[in-house]
Amino acid sequence: MSTAITAARHELLASVRAKAPYALVAAFLGMVAASTFIGWRTTVTVTAIYERVLADGYTTQPNPFTDVSPLYYVRNTVIYVLLIGTLMAATLGVQSALRDRKAETAALIGTRPVDARALRTGRLLGLGILLAALVAVTEVVTWVSVGLLVGGPLDAAETLRIAGFGVLTWLLLVGFAGVGMLSGRLLHRERTALLAPVVVWAVIAFVVPQLGTAARPVSLLNPVPLPAQDSGAFAWLSHALAPIAITERFKTASGALLGSPTTGSAAASALLVALFAAVALTAAILVRGTRTQGVPHE
Amino acid sequence: MTSTAIALDRVTHRYGTRPALVDLTLDIPEGEIFGLLGHNGAGKTTTVGILTTLLQASAGDAVVAGHDVRTAARDVRASLGYLPENVTFYNDLTTMENLVFFARLSGLRRPEARIGEVLEFVGFTGHDHERVGTFSKGMRQRVGLAQALLHRPAVLFLDEPTSGLDPEGVRALRELILRVNAEHGTTIFMNTHLLSEVTKTCTSIGILRSGRLVHHGTLADTVGAFPTEDALERAYFASATDAPA
Repeated sequence: MSTAITAARHELLASVRAKAPYALVAAFLGMVAASTFIGWRTTVTVTAIYERVLADGYTTQPNPFTDVSPLYYVRNTVIYVLLIGTLMAATLGVQSALRDRKAETAALIGTRPVDARALRTGRLLGLGILLAALVAVTEVVTWVSVGLLVGGPLDAAETLRIAGFGVLTWLLLVGFAGVGMLSGRLLHRERTALLAPVVVWAVIAFVVPQLGTAARPVSLLNPVPLPAQDSGAFAWLSHALAPIAITERFKTASGALLGSPTTGSAAASALLVALFAAVALTAAILVRGTRTQGVPHE
Repeated sequence: MTSTAIALDRVTHRYGTRPALVDLTLDIPEGEIFGLLGHNGAGKTTTVGILTTLLQASAGDAVVAGHDVRTAARDVRASLGYLPENVTFYNDLTTMENLVFFARLSGLRRPEARIGEVLEFVGFTGHDHERVGTFSKGMRQRVGLAQALLHRPAVLFLDEPTSGLDPEGVRALRELILRVNAEHGTTIFMNTHLLSEVTKTCTSIGILRSGRLVHHGTLADTVGAFPTEDALERAYFASATDAPA
């Protein structure tokens, strides 16, 4: 246990010194700001058009944004987490795995009486704490931003939904950090180690869903998942691949939390995201990596 | 009676099909300062790699401080200190932060006081909160020796410890090695190319040639066999190379 805690502290310290969290905070706050602005601008524009159309007597329907959750403003954050956050988390994982090799300290660690799995567990714990802090800051900023837009603090239910979205985001990011760490441990070259998680991400985020929803591929870049095909090969593929289309599951569960229209079970989707994180972290801890001691062959 | 600190019994190691060590058998008693000499590629670093558990021998047995390197690797690691040839640290961290990390991995719970002691021993006080990335090679070697001594190891492995140091650095490190041995009784296993360092530091030597141990004896015996001013140099060339002695 003490090895894991030592490694976790070291991971946090090394990451902070490498200034990685600052870049992540900037990116995440940028995502929240962009998402909130887009959400607010969309609402304002649509409402303005609606009121003109209503005044001209062309509709009697209610404003489409009436009774919509204020969290709808930040629904685009889901896509930013998928497109940017996951890649940044994977990069953090790769950098963590490569740190000893790059600093050439692997031999100093390899001659210490420590369990390698405890060391890796500690590093993931450190990354987990770092990502949790990052997500917490982001969600607080989200809460404040949405509160400012609606002219008052969000109620308890909405606050809980934001917290739930934060937990879900953390699970997805930690999972991708695990994928990055595994890649860094298995692949010798830094460039290859960085590329491999991007390929995994692209397959999960684009290829797998495409096999089930190819008729409307634009849904891949939209926050609201569209229903998969309900007949033929696409339907079968969609059902078969649904559990590993983790980003789609994240969109479904997040959509439910943020008040966007969704299809499928949000609870099952959230569970699959958690399962993905558990599998990725377990693999990152247990799978044996390449030889890292860096002892020259003399 | 002195017991054995390091023992190798018919240790062989291959990289692919190329043999790096062949049937290496060697006993080093406790308290010795042993110098392993040999040309580049002779197998010196491979020997240290096996003894420090960084490499697993293809065949043969090795014991360090009474523990088998294959079956009790953790006990071996708890008993040894290791200073690699080009010791490096986490450059963004300070001396203290680096040493706290390595001390805790060695099992020290509150290592700050011990780190202070060791830094004083190696003559490197006043740099605790400076980042290691700004240090010269000589400064890094001192921090390296400090990290190797933190947990009071019974056996200290030094791989080319004076490589790349200026004459002052070489002398300072030599004095530290002698002090570690004299004050703590630490057995020291040292790889080196520098024959002059061996004569000034070691009590016994071994010479490797293409992975085979071609000479092992006390420094006095080795030098005694070649009673001239450059005795060790002549002994080395007679054993380790095809060059005329």
